[in-house]
Amino acid sequence: MEIIGEKINGTRKRVARAIAERDAGFVRDLALRQAQAGAAWLDVNAGTHPQQEPDDLVWLVENVQAEVDTPLCLDSANPQALGAAIGAVDKTPMVNSISGEPERLENILPLVAEHGCRVIALAMDATRIPETSEARVAVVHKVMAATRAAGVPDEHVYVDPLVLTIGTDTCSGLTFFETLRAVHAAYPEVHLTAGLSNISFGLPARSYINRAFLTLALGAGLDSAILDPLDKDLQATLLAAELVLGRDDYCLAYTRAYRAGVLD
Amino acid sequence: MSEQLVNAIADMREEEALKLVKEMVEGDSDPLEILDDARKAMDVVGKRYEEGTYFLPELMLAGEMLNQITDILKPKLAELPEAERLGKVVVGTVAGDIHDIGKNIVTFMLDVNGFDVLDLGVDVSPQKFVEAIGDFQPQVVGLSGFLTLAFDTMKETVDAITAAGLRDNVKIMVGGGQMDDQVKVHTGADAYGRDAMAAVKLAKDWIGG
Repeated sequence: MEIIGEKINGTRKRVARAIAERDAGFVRDLALRQAQAGAAWLDVNAGTHPQQEPDDLVWLVENVQAEVDTPLCLDSANPQALGAAIGAVDKTPMVNSISGEPERLENILPLVAEHGCRVIALAMDATRIPETSEARVAVVHKVMAATRAAGVPDEHVYVDPLVLTIGTDTCSGLTFFETLRAVHAAYPEVHLTAGLSNISFGLPARSYINRAFLTLALGAGLDSAILDPLDKDLQATLLAAELVLGRDDYCLAYTRAYRAGVLD
Repeated sequence: MSEQLVNAIADMREEEALKLVKEMVEGDSDPLEILDDARKAMDVVGKRYEEGTYFLPELMLAGEMLNQITDILKPKLAELPEAERLGKVVVGTVAGDIHDIGKNIVTFMLDVNGFDVLDLGVDVSPQKFVEAIGDFQPQVVGLSGFLTLAFDTMKETVDAITAAGLRDNVKIMVGGGQMDDQVKVHTGADAYGRDAMAAVKLAKDWIGG
């Protein structure tokens, strides 16, 4: 499973402070530790005002790249910020994200197509977040038509069936799994991803909920996720779930992790 | 005052709470007292949420119970002489944001504390706020928002109210998940409130009562 490391996100207070104070050490350390923990991509989100965002996002990109080789996942809805960041990257990035929203398809998809980026595609559009899996799949059809028309290969698309907190809708997990399965059936080459920790927002003891969700989502076909690579419990859950799903030949990844002390 | 009712609501015992309300209505209890019990219960719920004992689902269920209780009481409330309302408040979640659990509790608490509340719902455009203020003529406007994008939308909303020449007619309070005093400054609002209790206090301080 491809792990997209979520920690460098300016909507978190501590990171916001580091960005504002240009604390390069803090950001580089977060990048290094996530990379060492096995992140395949590092999400970077400046979380600042549209005017500030391009500079802040570029600063994040430059500092992460100076520290690790891991490719970046550029997390912004702002085409100016994305454009600036794409100009600064060493490796082709992933773009987080497009959706069925017309402005995103008009302004962000062209950047994705032009630079050969992978792209996260949210199963929502300009109206509310669709409540049913049928409605979400309908949006995905629309988005896939657009990505295909733009020449983006299916394998570059990472569909996010949308994780809403179980705290306000106890069917939120079920809707997610249903959508995931339907999208996978319709578009077998497409990757499936999710912002895991959303599932437990607003509830206590979030870790158990996140782990249960990850396990069940993997069973339903999830093959990548935006998560905290430094969360040991989550990492252990991931290894165990992949093992039990028959994806770990000779249990090698699991036992290697054990010997490395990851499963303590 | 029915301590049993207050506890049933505060402890999330929905079936029991609604059954009690129905019995009290049949027994000719004062509907205003029942609403006051609901208000007391919401104070407890709010405190438990702040303490970290209760979470979002409890707030949602509380809001659900309040809606159902209000529905049961409607016919009885309609029979009462028109109570003097303390003042008028327009409330809404700003454009681009659909979060409303907290807003709904604010609406209830303002209403039960004697204000005439117009709740515009969610994803409310600046234009719709301006129109509502023009028609309803409130003294207070409450802007609710949870997403970080709401900061800018709130500012746009306040700017639209100003552009319409209505800014001096109203006091504007903001509230919601990511909000704090900084937001008040950024948006040009008059105050920021942490929760429904704060909203009520602000409205009372501004309008009197």
